[in-house]
Amino acid sequence: MDMLDFFPSSILQAADTSWQTVTIAQRASSAFRDHDLSGTIGYLLLGLLFTAGLLTVLGLVLIYAERKLAGHFQCRLGPMRVGWHGILQSAADGLKLLLKEDIVPENADKLLHLGAPVLSLMATVLTLAILPLSPTLQVVDLNIGVIYVTAVTSLGVLAILIAGWSSNNKWSLLGAMRAGAQIISYELSATLSLLVMVLLSGSLQLSEIIQSQSDGWWIWKSHLVGVIAFVTFLISTTAELNRTPFDLPEGESELTGGFHTEYSGLRFAFFFLAEFVNMFVASALIVTLFFGGWMPFYIGGWDGFNSIMGLIPPGIWFAGKSAFFIFLLMWFRWTFPRLRIDQLMSLEWKILLPVGFINIFLAALIVLFEWHF
Amino acid sequence: MNVHVSTLDEKTRSSLAIESHSETEEYFINMGPQHPSTHGVLRLILKLDGETVREVIPVLGYIHRSIEKISEYSTYRQIVHLTDRMDYLSAIMNNWAVARTVEKAAEIETNERIESIRTIVSELERIHSHQLGWGVLGMDMGAFTPFLYGFRDREMITDILEETIGARLTMNYIQPGGVMFDIHPDFVRKVKEYLAYFKPKLDEYEDLLSGNPILQQRLRNVGIMDAETALSMGATGPVLRASRVPYDLRKIEPYGMYGEVEFRVAIGTAGDCWDRYYVRIEEMRQSMRIIEQLIDNIPEGKFLLKKPAAKLTIPEGRHYSQIETARGVLGFYIVSEGKETPYRAYFRTPNFHNLWSLTAMAPGGRVGDLVAIISSLDLVIPDIDR
Amino acid sequence: MGFVNFESAKESSMDFGGLPVEVVEAPRGAPSNTVLGTLPNIRKVLFSLFKGMSITLRYLLHPSTVVTQQYPENRNELKMFDRYRARLKFTYNEAREHHCTGCLICEMVCPNASIIIHNRKGPVTGKKEIDHFLWRWDICTFCNACVVACPHNALEMTGNFESAVYDRRLLIYNLNAYAGPPANALKKIEDPEERKKAMEARDVYCEFTPMAGASLPGIAPLAEKKEQD
Repeated sequence: MDMLDFFPSSILQAADTSWQTVTIAQRASSAFRDHDLSGTIGYLLLGLLFTAGLLTVLGLVLIYAERKLAGHFQCRLGPMRVGWHGILQSAADGLKLLLKEDIVPENADKLLHLGAPVLSLMATVLTLAILPLSPTLQVVDLNIGVIYVTAVTSLGVLAILIAGWSSNNKWSLLGAMRAGAQIISYELSATLSLLVMVLLSGSLQLSEIIQSQSDGWWIWKSHLVGVIAFVTFLISTTAELNRTPFDLPEGESELTGGFHTEYSGLRFAFFFLAEFVNMFVASALIVTLFFGGWMPFYIGGWDGFNSIMGLIPPGIWFAGKSAFFIFLLMWFRWTFPRLRIDQLMSLEWKILLPVGFINIFLAALIVLFEWHF
Repeated sequence: MNVHVSTLDEKTRSSLAIESHSETEEYFINMGPQHPSTHGVLRLILKLDGETVREVIPVLGYIHRSIEKISEYSTYRQIVHLTDRMDYLSAIMNNWAVARTVEKAAEIETNERIESIRTIVSELERIHSHQLGWGVLGMDMGAFTPFLYGFRDREMITDILEETIGARLTMNYIQPGGVMFDIHPDFVRKVKEYLAYFKPKLDEYEDLLSGNPILQQRLRNVGIMDAETALSMGATGPVLRASRVPYDLRKIEPYGMYGEVEFRVAIGTAGDCWDRYYVRIEEMRQSMRIIEQLIDNIPEGKFLLKKPAAKLTIPEGRHYSQIETARGVLGFYIVSEGKETPYRAYFRTPNFHNLWSLTAMAPGGRVGDLVAIISSLDLVIPDIDR
Repeated sequence: MGFVNFESAKESSMDFGGLPVEVVEAPRGAPSNTVLGTLPNIRKVLFSLFKGMSITLRYLLHPSTVVTQQYPENRNELKMFDRYRARLKFTYNEAREHHCTGCLICEMVCPNASIIIHNRKGPVTGKKEIDHFLWRWDICTFCNACVVACPHNALEMTGNFESAVYDRRLLIYNLNAYAGPPANALKKIEDPEERKKAMEARDVYCEFTPMAGASLPGIAPLAEKKEQD
């Protein structure tokens, strides 16, 4: 159509390279097919270790980064005492939380109180497994990746609701109810934005969504639809992550900690870890869907520039892009005040959701008439 | 006349006994005494319907230190140092309230230098009090960063005051008949430097928080209090002025050097949280104006006209005098028997009266609104309990 | 979405009980609810959000704006102001003679009895002189009344604010380095030997102070403990 002449076809991201993707699960199954038992077990263990290691490293690094960034946003230094510039601070804190007394309120529902943090962390770990960190660094590449992510991250809200209920504390319950209302509402528009990208790329598989961006990231080549989807997704994931300006479920100044008021020690650490790793998951999803995943940044026609960009390994690209979005989320947190519960709801139901519906309709039109590049 | 005073027990019991016709049930929740946004040990008993506040019952006394009773056994100079511990963010102004009452009662003369110094340090303290109020409001609204920016600028003022006075919080500076120390030689220069530094910073405050649409949404049309309610609740200071009552003792009944300087009284239009917030921002500007006018021409003279060891008695009778602190009218009432210590002392503290306007404003709002209202009242709890 | 127009701050004059009061009104933009009004509002909202974020970013990118003081590390460079009120001390002249006559004015003006003075009849002069000047750092409010009230300038407040100890009783100090007459009275004693005899050395913890003769785990016995100036 005429729209194509309007833009010189993909200035950004023109170097068309296809990437061979091999996941750890694929390696394991091919080893199994070759009757290589030790290889199979080895790859399965590698997958487990990778997820567990990623969880720990992300927890340590992100908590340290948040505290350090918060410090410098606020003219402070942040942690300085443990290790060089406090680099071991989060490890020390983790150790402290590990050794702390595990306090359970007398009238709490003991089983649910114990289960909630585990469920919260589980929902996070399960999503880590399918994130394509690089062409060869992905534990399992599900063909329903996008649906899987939406389904599994929704388990997190159950954990929060259970935590609030089982604590037997009115403040916790208020926080949990807020979280329930908020996360379920914002999941709608998050899913709508995801669907836009699914429409455009024609696949639910995360690695294929990335492959479909080899000739240009979706944020560049999907006209306004992608940008609107991106902004909606950014806002709604921030809300799902319970981060400022949508941190009502925890809302320290209102609810004294919200759903995790009654948690201490390792159980609190689980919630805390889940929150921070979720932040990475959200950023990784944004990167995967809109910013080409592990694709390098190319500019059409600049071959010299492109070959330099191509030298940087895809894993680094992915890490760098997600780091930027994590930084953005932290930046939001240390700048903005928090919304009120009714304002939060009206933002979702009166603005984001209608916009999302119109957007998905437009996206369908674009895909139908093949207007995108 | 029979006045029925309902106890806390009665209040909570009676409303629980009411049979609810709807499916929902109202419930009580304790906000405080340990709660991050009650700014200390204030306890509020909230009757909530879901998230909507139906009733607020403030419970006081968690930090009662019987300052008034101790005052009955203290000489007037010793009372001054007790007042530091009431509204610790306007310690100097509290000192001034006692000093002014004693000076009026005992007919102690002061000179222009003393009054100038008193006015300047009081206005500096008003600025730093409002800076903290600004930051704390930001923090209560969920933005942690303004709190530290407010504190950073406040620390600079306390540094200036520390150089002259020697203390950062409990100043004990203004004495009956003068001030405790003469201003430090660097004082004038540093104050001027600070004003030059803080003016652009105040614009930054506005960009960071006032201009933020989220904050405006949180504050505008929340906790509206009309002028009549404000007056009947006995609210003073920025809380009253936000309700469009231009009552400022510095203007209405000038003391110190306020009669000789030009400044405007900041008022609000609707009496909501936004007005209370913005009145404080505007007052910082006006305070800077006052300091600018005074700082260059502090007259020469003695800084303390009455010997600090000399006996200080005030004539028999009742004496009252009041000044405008950062939070409103602070009055000091003495019943004297002509001795060195008062027979009875009473402080009319601004926060105690401002607190009760909460009960008029909060019902109908959400818990988040309640936090905004408490924050916009800028309460200092030790001042309520004394 | 209403957005406050900050230029709308109005200056005017109001009447308050017959008294004209110059006032300045807090700005308050009217919310525009029309469809056409929404777009400029969205632009304004986005702009103001970016403005707020640019402020925090600027501080992040300029580490020179950090105001943190690394306290225990900067102990050597940390200088308190001369007038800082933390620890009460006796003033001494070059010969380490104090000026306290034991007139009890400071004890009288002290609002919470953190100064307790024990006087004695001097063995050499036969006149009233100071024996123990007890100061309770644990309850002192640093109001400076004693320093201002002292007619002989025998007291001063110093900037030594580090009062942390493991036992509260360690904060009760004996301020005078010696029990004996003040510098003025000592001048009248001609014989240096006699003068020395008139000055009986006193420790920070002795007799009336609770730690006199006692020891606590982890705290050096009194004999080795020197007064830290």
